[in-house]
Parts: sequence; structure tokens; C-alpha cells
Amino acid sequence: MYDLLIFLALIAVGYSVGTLLEKRHYHSIHKREKAFFYLPAVTIKSVDYPEEKIRSAELVYGSVVISIDCFKKILAGLRNIFGGTIKSYESLIDRARREALLRMKEMAGDATVIVNVRIETSTIARKANKKGVGCLEAIAYGTALTLEK
Amino acid sequence: MRYTPRHPKSNVNVTPTSHIREFFVLAGGLLSLIVVIYLVLGLTVDLIVPHISIDLENKMGVHFFQSMGGKDVDSQRGYYVQSLIDDLRERCAKLPYRFKIHVRKASTVNAMALPGGHVIVFTGLLDKMSSENELAFVLAHEMGHYAHRDHLRAGGRAVVLMTFSALLFGADSSVSKILSHTLNITELSFSRKQETMADEFALETINCAYGHVGGATDFFEKIPKEQDTGKIGHYFASHPETRSRISHLNNIIRSRGFNLAKRKPLPKAIWNFIP
Amino acid sequence: MIITNIETVPGKTIVEHFGLVSGSTIRAKHIGRDIMASLKNLVGGELKGYTQLLQESRNQAIDRMIEHARQMGANAIVNVRFSTSSVAQGAAELYVYGTAVRVQ
Repeated sequence: MYDLLIFLALIAVGYSVGTLLEKRHYHSIHKREKAFFYLPAVTIKSVDYPEEKIRSAELVYGSVVISIDCFKKILAGLRNIFGGTIKSYESLIDRARREALLRMKEMAGDATVIVNVRIETSTIARKANKKGVGCLEAIAYGTALTLEK
Repeated sequence: MRYTPRHPKSNVNVTPTSHIREFFVLAGGLLSLIVVIYLVLGLTVDLIVPHISIDLENKMGVHFFQSMGGKDVDSQRGYYVQSLIDDLRERCAKLPYRFKIHVRKASTVNAMALPGGHVIVFTGLLDKMSSENELAFVLAHEMGHYAHRDHLRAGGRAVVLMTFSALLFGADSSVSKILSHTLNITELSFSRKQETMADEFALETINCAYGHVGGATDFFEKIPKEQDTGKIGHYFASHPETRSRISHLNNIIRSRGFNLAKRKPLPKAIWNFIP
Repeated sequence: MIITNIETVPGKTIVEHFGLVSGSTIRAKHIGRDIMASLKNLVGGELKGYTQLLQESRNQAIDRMIEHARQMGANAIVNVRFSTSSVAQGAAELYVYGTAVRVQ
């Protein structure tokens, strides 16, 4: 019986703290996305700038590992039984990729554009994942072009 | 090609949803699924159990018993309890089992009926006994479980369910844990009927063996005085509330006109011997 | 919505771009399908349930990316790429992203 109570308490803590942290993270993401509003990141390779105007080209990247809270993990476990969209993981994936993109943009600084951007999932925590650590690692990279003033 | 910065109106990658609501819907669905499986399982187990031959059960019992591990202690009292159960079986309850008593060292006030006629008696129970009749009642109660083959029913269902939940979620996942809790509760409430039946069987048996049923309710009358929670708490949970159990036994004693006579004491030499 | 995975839309010129658009999805099949798949694994062959799962996931991810691009005011997405992740076991996680553009 005590086990059950501890378990329920963990879920409650996981839900409340997890929701709070997620809200905060989204707040920070929105704020920084506004700050980098004028720095585009695109998947195409050329943005038809004349070559002589490009002052520098530099590889930029950003990565992040975000974990899920235990409430959402249990929800995902339940959803796995019945099938369908695992809605509780959607925000995790969304946050991880936007955060990685933002960190890439932060590294680019005052560049004009980031071209040939790729977003991938790395696999450092795959071993941990088997042990039940629900986390996602996103990495974004591209080439930052800075134009002559 | 010029760049026009724009913010999307909504986040397309996250479905706006209430996770709490989804949780309750899914958990409710899972729970009802489990209840259905449990009932179906119960029916199948009830169908299969009468067809399991004693021979097959004995073979399964050996494996089951070996997997339990542990060591028999207190051979003095063990022999005595063994002779008592053999005597009960010989004279009053002709069950097709060869009972083997295993005394195990634990403060638990309990006895267990395992498949294949292996009866585990804990020293905690033996220490509490004050008369032979009282001990005989507890043994006859376990024999009652064998007579109705409850030990197979409970074991069969529990084993199948545990396998099922381990298969679904992995043996040590949190979902499995919460499941095993809920399963335990239902399992216990199911076995109460079986406990009452075993009580009735035990009453008949000791009436046959001693010609009276004195000492039958002694054991239960003792329990409320003990304030040992924890392990004894488990015994409480799996057996019907002692008070209703005593009154049920008394009702049967009255209606069947059983006698209450003097209890036979336990052999002092064996009982007070400290190994 | 025109979707390509090359730099341009042949026959049209890109006049304007809106940056990265993406769509992601994570879907699972019910437990019965998982059990059937593990049985099928004994003899090999196509796991129809999982093929279908991947198809559904991919379509949903693309639909979401298109919706994203539409909200930006684009009429084409170029240089689209797929990516996967592995958060939950037994679930298909697809991510599709590209550059939202307006072509003429």
C-alpha cells in the first residue's frame, strides 16, 4: 500500500513539476525565437547571394538532451497499449528540436543566414533508453553565412 | 530571393490536449480490459483445475517448491505436526495427497498450502499455538484448501496474470507495479469465499477427529490481541475479518450441534524444547 | 502545396522564403499488433502492421509540415528531409522539415 502511495505521489510531482518546467521552457523558447526572428535557417544550399559579398562561412551547431517526466511517460506507456498518436511525447520532441535550432542560431551570432540546415537525433542515451530513461537528443547544424555590410 | 520572417499562428506539432483526461480514459480502459481478462482467466482456471491430475500437480509442486528455496527448521515440532496431519488425513479427511510439513523460521503467524501437498508452517504460528485442537484446526483449514484445490486456482491465476503484465510492460516497469497492486487486491477479495469454505471443511474434520470442536476458534480469538502489523497484517487481509469468521464458525457449531469439550494440550516436551 | 527534396521547384522561380518549417509525429500500434509482429518475426516477411504505422506517421508528419508552411504564407516547400528519433519503444517517430518558399 505504501508503495502505491509513493508511486502516486511520484506521478503527482512528475506532473506538476513537469508541466511547470515545460511552460518555462516554452516561455524561454518563444522569447529567444523572437530575438532571432531575422536570422533565417533554411535547408536549401544557396540563397543566391553574390559570392564576393559573403564575408565568412562557418559551421554552426546546437544540441540538447531533454527528458520526459514520469507522468507523461506512463501516459505514453498506456497509449502504447491502445495505439494511436502518443500526444504526451509531442511537446518533448517539439521542444528538443526547437531548442537545438535556437542553440545553433545562438552560435551563429550576427550571421545573415544559416544554410543547408540538418536536424538529427543523436544516440548517446540509447543505452540509457533501454533502461527506461525517456529522453531525446536533438542536434541541429548548418553553415552560417555572414555578408559584407 | 528575400526572407520574410513570420510566426506561425499555432504550433502544428503539438496537439492541444488535456493529458490528465487522456490518462483517466486510458487507465480506465486498461482497467476494464484487465477485469475482463481476469474474469475470463478465472473461468478458464476453474475449468482446467478439476482436470489437473494429482500426479501432474505433484510434479509441478516439486518445481514450485524448489523455486521457493529456504530450509526446514525445528524438526522436533515438525515431526509432531507431520504426524498430526497424517493422522487427520488417515482418519477424517481422505485426500489424495501425501502431505509434507515444512517448518520455516519466520515470525509470520501463518501457514501456506503449496501445490503437491507441501504445507509450509512458520515457527511464528507454532509459537502461538496453545492446544492440539487449535493446531489441528489450522492444519485442517489448509487441508480444506487442498480439498477444494484453491491453491491451484489462486496460484494459476496469479501466475498467469503476473506473466501477462510482465509481458506487456516489462517485469520492473512502474506500470507493472501499479498493476500488481490492483491485481493483488482483487485476488484477495476473491479468495475470501475460499477461506470460509476451508474453515467449514476444517470444522468438520476436527469434529470427526476429536468428537468435538473445542479450540476451533481459539486461533482467531488470539489474533486481535496481537498488535503486530506488517506480516500479520497480510494474514488479516487475505483471511476474512476475524470477527465475522468467528461468528460464522459459531453459527455452524450451533446449527450442526457440535460439542465443545476440553482441549487436548500440546506435548510439553516437544513444545518447550528449544533447538 | 509543392513539395520537393531538391533546391528548387523546376519551371518556377523562388521569390521569397520563410525559413524552416517542420512536422513531427510519434505514433504507436496497439499491443495486439506488436504481439503479431513478434510472431511474424519468426518466419520473416513484411510486417504489414508496421508498414502501415510508418505510412500513417509519415503522412501525418507531412500534413503537419504543410499546415506549418500554410500558416507562414508559403506555397511550396523545398529541400525536404526526413529524420527519425527513438524516445519510446515500439513507436514510429518521424520528423520532416524543409524550407518554406513562395514560387511564381
